[in-house]
Amino acid sequence: MIQSNDDTDLATDTRGHAANGKGPSGARTIRVRIKRADSHGKNVRWEEFKVDLPSAGERDGAINVIACLQQIASNPVTVDGTRSTPVTYESGCLEEVCGSCTMVINGKVRQACSCLVDDYAPNDGDLITLEPMSKFPVVRDLWVDRSRLFKALASVKAWVPIDGTYDLGEGPEETPDEQQTRYKLSTCMSCGCCLEACPQYTLEEDESKFDESFVGAAVISQARYFNMHETGATMKKQRLDTLAGPGGINNCGNSQNCVKVCPKEIPLTESIAAMGRSVTLHRIKEFFSGR
Amino acid sequence: MTNDQSFMNKHHFLLRRLHSLTGIVPIGLFLIGHLTTNSSIIWGAINGRATHAMDPELVEGVGKATAGQVGTFQHEVTFINESVPFLILIEITLWLSIAFHSILGIYYARTGKANTKRYEYQGNWRYTLQRISGYVGILFIVYHVATLRWGWTWLIPGGTKWDYEYASSTLAMALKGSETGDWTFLGVLVSLLYLLGVTMLVFHFANGLWTAAITWGVTITAKAQRNWGYVCAALGAGLMAAGWGALFGFLFVDVQAAKDIEEEMLRKKSADIVEPEAVSMIPATEHTLVAIEA
Ligand code: SF4
Ligand code: SF4
Ligand code: FES
Repeated sequence: MIQSNDDTDLATDTRGHAANGKGPSGARTIRVRIKRADSHGKNVRWEEFKVDLPSAGERDGAINVIACLQQIASNPVTVDGTRSTPVTYESGCLEEVCGSCTMVINGKVRQACSCLVDDYAPNDGDLITLEPMSKFPVVRDLWVDRSRLFKALASVKAWVPIDGTYDLGEGPEETPDEQQTRYKLSTCMSCGCCLEACPQYTLEEDESKFDESFVGAAVISQARYFNMHETGATMKKQRLDTLAGPGGINNCGNSQNCVKVCPKEIPLTESIAAMGRSVTLHRIKEFFSGR
Repeated sequence: MTNDQSFMNKHHFLLRRLHSLTGIVPIGLFLIGHLTTNSSIIWGAINGRATHAMDPELVEGVGKATAGQVGTFQHEVTFINESVPFLILIEITLWLSIAFHSILGIYYARTGKANTKRYEYQGNWRYTLQRISGYVGILFIVYHVATLRWGWTWLIPGGTKWDYEYASSTLAMALKGSETGDWTFLGVLVSLLYLLGVTMLVFHFANGLWTAAITWGVTITAKAQRNWGYVCAALGAGLMAAGWGALFGFLFVDVQAAKDIEEEMLRKKSADIVEPEAVSMIPATEHTLVAIEA
């Protein structure tokens, strides 16, 4: 089981430890309601399962939502006794660094692996609801297709160009200050939380429209991250051109939900403002230099 | 891709930034001036100069405060209507800006989908309210200008007409829905619409000023954004006070007293126009005569 230090503010909404014997440390049975689908919009249905949690003494650490899904997979029978199928979901690292297990839990987006059941369902009979993210096409059940996010990262060239015909040598030196800022930005795991919570990021199923659809906070922040890198900065102009265009930074409506839900606490709104400044200056320079 | 979409895409950056800019200059700037002028129906009470030229008996009769309030507002309105050069050009610029800002605003607002139910953050509420206030605001502006500036009196409950030479009294009539300045049911609705409209527009401007600083990249760090937030909130509070003050000032002004003062000012004005001419013509004629004789 995962021992995670859970400090996102999402968990607090449903947090509430009961003092009775069946509380967070006691053995209990909880209910898990899952929004399932065979593919996007196909056979969408809610199914509810029971999950038995052993008492704290009988288990090794805390239990997360992924463990519940595993238990359901071992015996997929719904509460009304119908035999169902194991629920499909993505997961990788199980320690909140890969971002693949992102889903909507009790109405808010977060990672399932770092979502501890003791916080969300402290009492016998408590309910946890799981939904796939709503801003991406559903592949199956809780598994969504985030390729729009990856394409957007490519559109801002979210990498450092190190391939060449000769050895580029060591990278340039960096001040500790810059390093601190960049380190925080580097922790983005492309999980999609900031996009799911963004009112300006809406579902787009048509791949041909990805180019002009909002790239979202994560991508703006990654563009900033690579623009701050001395070698990465060689592609600054292309990144700013993409962000100045349709689907770029101007699509942001400044609701600042993104920064509130980011599990990595990346200062997304500062990144948005910083790139706003870069794009403004870039366009002014372009206007007067004609290039 | 349809044609208008490709136009929007081609000029995406310019249109977005012009949309942001027009909200501040000229629209926001005008809002500040407009509410400052209109709130003179309150702060005019302490404007001693307003009553200097008036008949002391009249001032005594209606009260020095009322005379100052109505007098100051009338003075401002007369100045705008008679002395501001190229008023029509200013109006056209404003109209074009408002049309541009609201049409694009509606287009942009439709690209988002509010989610305050799930994410009840204060910033998210402001995001949603910014869009709602834009919709309500434009409806209010159209009603406001159509009734008072274009004279669409059929939209005014009492059917009265706003007259800039009787600025306070005819405004009170239009707001309350009667020629006597007595409250009517529809008048209450119109007044509530004004309260809502002013509140929404002031919020829209103050919040828009805050987000514009992020859009243009002026405030970057969370701390800078917070600091600028305090400035915008203070400006918003000030404008809100001015807007509400103006509205209540016109709602509670004594219509008969206001009319008396406005008439007195009109008398003074026509006298002023005749007198200087009379004074300057005579010496000039004399001078000419003297010159001819010589
Ligand atoms: S910025 Fe944060 S919320 Fe957005 S994808 Fe990266 S880690 Fe996830
Ligand atoms: S600040 Fe911009 S990117 Fe972040 S949630 Fe709001 S609209 Fe989306
Ligand atoms: S499995 Fe990697 S973040 Fe949850």
